[in-house]
Amino acid sequence: MLELRGATYRYAGYARPVLHEVDLALRDGEIVGLVGGTESGKSTICLVASGLAPLSIGGELRGEVRIDGEPTAGLSVHELAQWVVIGFQNPATQRSGVAATVFEEVALGPMNLGLPVAETLARARRALATLRIEHLADRDPARLSGGQGQLVAIAGLLAMGPRHVILDEPTAQLDPEGSNLVAAALRDLAATGAALLVAEQRTDLLDGLCDRVVVVDGGRIVLDGPAAATLEDRRLEDWGVEPPSRVRLARALAARGLPSLAELGWPA
Amino acid sequence: MAGGYLVPMALIVIVLACAAVAGVLHRLVRVSLVLTLPIAISVILVSALTRPGETVLLVLGPFDITLEGIDFAGQTLVRLFAISTAIGLFTLATDPRAFVFDLERRGLSPRFAFIAAATIEAVPAMAARAGVIAAAQRSRGLDTEGSLRARLRGVLPLVGPVLLSSLTEVEERSLALEVRAFGRPGRRHLLWWPPDRPLERVARWLLVAALAGLVAARLLGAWPPIP
Repeated sequence: MLELRGATYRYAGYARPVLHEVDLALRDGEIVGLVGGTESGKSTICLVASGLAPLSIGGELRGEVRIDGEPTAGLSVHELAQWVVIGFQNPATQRSGVAATVFEEVALGPMNLGLPVAETLARARRALATLRIEHLADRDPARLSGGQGQLVAIAGLLAMGPRHVILDEPTAQLDPEGSNLVAAALRDLAATGAALLVAEQRTDLLDGLCDRVVVVDGGRIVLDGPAAATLEDRRLEDWGVEPPSRVRLARALAARGLPSLAELGWPA
Repeated sequence: MAGGYLVPMALIVIVLACAAVAGVLHRLVRVSLVLTLPIAISVILVSALTRPGETVLLVLGPFDITLEGIDFAGQTLVRLFAISTAIGLFTLATDPRAFVFDLERRGLSPRFAFIAAATIEAVPAMAARAGVIAAAQRSRGLDTEGSLRARLRGVLPLVGPVLLSSLTEVEERSLALEVRAFGRPGRRHLLWWPPDRPLERVARWLLVAALAGLVAARLLGAWPPIP
């Protein structure tokens, strides 16, 4: 289990913290969505949970990050990376730039861990198979679509063998086709038992995928509950979060006195 | 006077011949000219206008343009072009991946090897990004065609976004690499490295010997100093 306990974080050079007393738990095999308006602190929570804040980007963290009850303080980023990894919005910046093929790109992480060649190859193959992108193995990573590039980035993280995968707005820079590719891949990933924390503006992506949804506002967690109930909470829009389209459609139908989707026989 | 031109021009000919074999001749000439041109302008102006000499070709106000000044500018330019073409050939003809892995196989830290490769990749990456930004700006009415002045006016607004986006990308890229254990000390078990063919090994040792010979010749006074 990955836990944040009372996490309060201030970026280097900032006068005030941007996270305040955040308590968040990501249990093994759980899929948690993280939603919130712009500048609410979603990305900061992701950086703190992954250890990059403050290890890599500096700043001051009060509170604790724990993995399986053990504090992560004192661990280096590459030591943490075997437990928890983080993916970012832009597939291009997650590319190493020195891999000729997708396979090499995905194998880079295990190679950096100093693993034997056979283990590196096995992990890379497994990661590609999990996301069903074996057909991209021989492609040039620089010549992929946005969605494909993001899947390769996620595969590169999976090849590290982490138990927790954090994705910070993985579809933010993708077109609808790319977003659908990533959404399908996240479902495949969830099926493997990996714990996922997905920060997203697009609640449609999280709807039907997540076990739980956490709402962040002003650097604090304001709601944490089962995904369906949380995404239907009427306060979401007050916190700068647009509900999923099925919720908006249901409310629009109700507002006009029309039958609900269920009454119309629409599949759930 | 010819002596100062002979060796640099011979080097340029050799580099261009190698570039032709590697299939990067046109790109090399274009890149080298672009890189050398700004320096060339200042070298010509400073040398031609201020370097003392006995043969005055032209008088421009307080400045005497001398044959010696023009000659010095010419020798400096061919040397600059020789350097830029040599560096340009290395950049254009080297596979960054092969370079990184070969350096690492020979004992260089993976971090330094990666920095070397990333430096090579940085220029084409920035050029590609500049192209995207230019296209976006053109769609918003920026004019980047036409006379030299119009092109310069069109290029200047691109410099800021290209540099800023490159800097932002550096931070994101470094974080993404750290997450994939790039900072871990110790050796890696490489999946691949470039073969070291006998001909390449011979060429490499000949170049090292030539460099050592040139340094020795200069120290012993057998090679004339730069005028």
